[in-house]
Amino acid sequence: MPSTAPHPNPPPNRAEGSVRVSGADLVLEALEEEGVDLIFGYPGGANLPIYQRLPEHPKLQHILVRHEQGAAHMADGYARACGRPGVVFATSGPGALNLVTGLCTAYMDSVPMIAITGQVNSTQVGRDAFQESDVIGATSSVTKHSYLVTDIAQLPRVIHEAFHIATTGRPGPVLIDICKDVQMVVAERTPRAPFSLAGYHLNGHTKLEDAKVAAQALAHAERPVILAGHGVLLSHAEQALLDLAEKSGVPVGTTLLGIGGFPVNHPLSLHMTGFMGTGWCLKAVQNADVLMMVGMRVDDRVTARLADFAPKVTTFIHIDIDGSEMGKNVRPHIELVADARSALEAILPHIDSVHEGRGAWLTQIDAWREEHPLRYTHSNGHLQPQDVLIDMYRRCRNEAVVVADVGQNQIWAALWWNYDRPGLFINSGGAGTMGFALPAAIGAKFARPDLDVWCVAGEGGFVMTAQELSVAVEHQLDIKIVLLNNFSLGMVRQFQDDFYGGVRSQVELTHIPDFVKLADAYGLPGVRVDKLADVGPAMDAAQRTKGPYLIDFRIDPEANVYPIVPLGKSLNDFWEAPHQ
Amino acid sequence: MITQSERIRVLSVLVEDGSSTLTKVAGMIRRRGFHVQAITVGPSGEAGRSRMTLQIDAGHAEVDQVRKQLERLVEVVEIEDLTEHAVHSRELVVARVAAAAVPDLVAKGARVLEPGSVTTTIEFAGEGDQVGAFVEELRRHGNLDVVRSGPVVMRRTV
Repeated sequence: MPSTAPHPNPPPNRAEGSVRVSGADLVLEALEEEGVDLIFGYPGGANLPIYQRLPEHPKLQHILVRHEQGAAHMADGYARACGRPGVVFATSGPGALNLVTGLCTAYMDSVPMIAITGQVNSTQVGRDAFQESDVIGATSSVTKHSYLVTDIAQLPRVIHEAFHIATTGRPGPVLIDICKDVQMVVAERTPRAPFSLAGYHLNGHTKLEDAKVAAQALAHAERPVILAGHGVLLSHAEQALLDLAEKSGVPVGTTLLGIGGFPVNHPLSLHMTGFMGTGWCLKAVQNADVLMMVGMRVDDRVTARLADFAPKVTTFIHIDIDGSEMGKNVRPHIELVADARSALEAILPHIDSVHEGRGAWLTQIDAWREEHPLRYTHSNGHLQPQDVLIDMYRRCRNEAVVVADVGQNQIWAALWWNYDRPGLFINSGGAGTMGFALPAAIGAKFARPDLDVWCVAGEGGFVMTAQELSVAVEHQLDIKIVLLNNFSLGMVRQFQDDFYGGVRSQVELTHIPDFVKLADAYGLPGVRVDKLADVGPAMDAAQRTKGPYLIDFRIDPEANVYPIVPLGKSLNDFWEAPHQ
Repeated sequence: MITQSERIRVLSVLVEDGSSTLTKVAGMIRRRGFHVQAITVGPSGEAGRSRMTLQIDAGHAEVDQVRKQLERLVEVVEIEDLTEHAVHSRELVVARVAAAAVPDLVAKGARVLEPGSVTTTIEFAGEGDQVGAFVEELRRHGNLDVVRSGPVVMRRTV
């Protein structure tokens, strides 16, 4: 009906060129300036003013998710796959609180993310308004920093500050909670205010004076080991690490999050460390005299029982960008506070002669590799998950992104990783968030459309965020979903069998969907595979098919992860797969 | 094994004013397993910034973690660890006491804030130990009501 009356709620003036501008436009313009191309989000009452203006900013593609947790994991997977911060929108109250698990996942693994949440009107804050919650309070322990915006004068400064904080130093998620009235209010455009970050001491704690001492300790050690964490990937220190390892003849193990930081087929590779690491890596760590820990937190999954961690080490060298990691768990004798790449490059020139016993040490490690190989049960009548993953990795050819969920599937995917050059293995290491893989794989595919993306998940984690299949179908994302389905919470079941007296309590998933029908309901093809001979043809079909594809692999329900260190025990006490 | 007193850190912390600053500092202390023994907050000499004096037990954490974890907060501009330094440390006590006790307490350094025929309100300031001793003295006199501040601490110039 044509009307001459003004619209009761006219959109604010288009921002560019206009002297007056709304808070919503300031936010969206700032995102454009920061080079954002993609936003994962969900609209609701308290962020509607931003969504009203979104169509006027066509450079910002918005992906409508099905649950805010999915948005956070997509932004996380996006950031891990391409290095740029992922951006999330959510509304107030339940919308923002649904992000918390995703923020925690990113925070624990130092992933840059910007979460922009709507908040109730500034005048309603504290009055228990509809969909009001204290989002700053709820998220401050899982964000690197957060802002409550109650005044348009804070915009766009805080958006740019947030990107600076999220992406520099040790990266992490930053949340900006913006009151709805601030999004709506129109104000005079002002020159961009300078940062107000006197308390953000970027590089303020850098400490590289001991680079030479560290180099000599490493080179002159009889039994040195390097452990490499996520910091190697975050700072692109892969080449420096390779150079250092080769120049000093020191073997390298990686943490779960450090996978891809060192070529796994290199003669100096120890593959993965930690309480589900390889036997030869654990032997090396427990017999080392000098241990250099690069870009890692040295958490309990790496050390197992702390008092017995690397007991023969006389010199711990710790490198991390975050000075608070020094001595948090293991007190280093030599500490370098800097990003992994700067530190390794500072150490490299000081590597001179190498200890004469190095050959014997590497020979010993080779013997351990022979003695404690990765092995698994074959031919027991069931499909083995390792066989599925070996087939998958053969197809990855060193260049596909592999996103794993959490649990047995994650460790199998980590241990059978076979890349001989640094590559992309994405998983939730610190938080261990089930349901991470599918949305993170979606984010990774948006970030790297040029690469194949494989999503490896158990059926337990998969159903936690399966609603995001709609996003994969809507955007016809080429994601191949490898479901390792054992009708149980496999890792928990294994722990109960091995460490909790064999009492299987609440681990059987007897009522889960028929995943082929589920795939069909969401509009993607899916097949079921329950024997080895059908693995290859199903994978072939998945690769031939454009768009998402799900394979429900019915695996051995008793398959276990080995090696494993029993809970509370030392790394020396790792169990291996039984001999066949 | 370190003793309880070795776990204590006294920090003078300059923070940006803001609606979330106090909860973020308190949240960090709680989350890392530290315990607050005393906390005072007041305006600093700089506009938009406050000075917190924190006396913190590191709990099961390494003691240097207290400072390092607080430094990670963007709201924290500067931290001075005063634990090992010579400092001026002052605490304040305000008490309501029986009028009969006043001469004795004034002789020990108290000052009268509000005289009365039945009860009198007094104040006393001093180092933590002195304030502790004064509070004991109040107890002996059967004080009626006591409030005590946490310490405010400044490094000595020499």
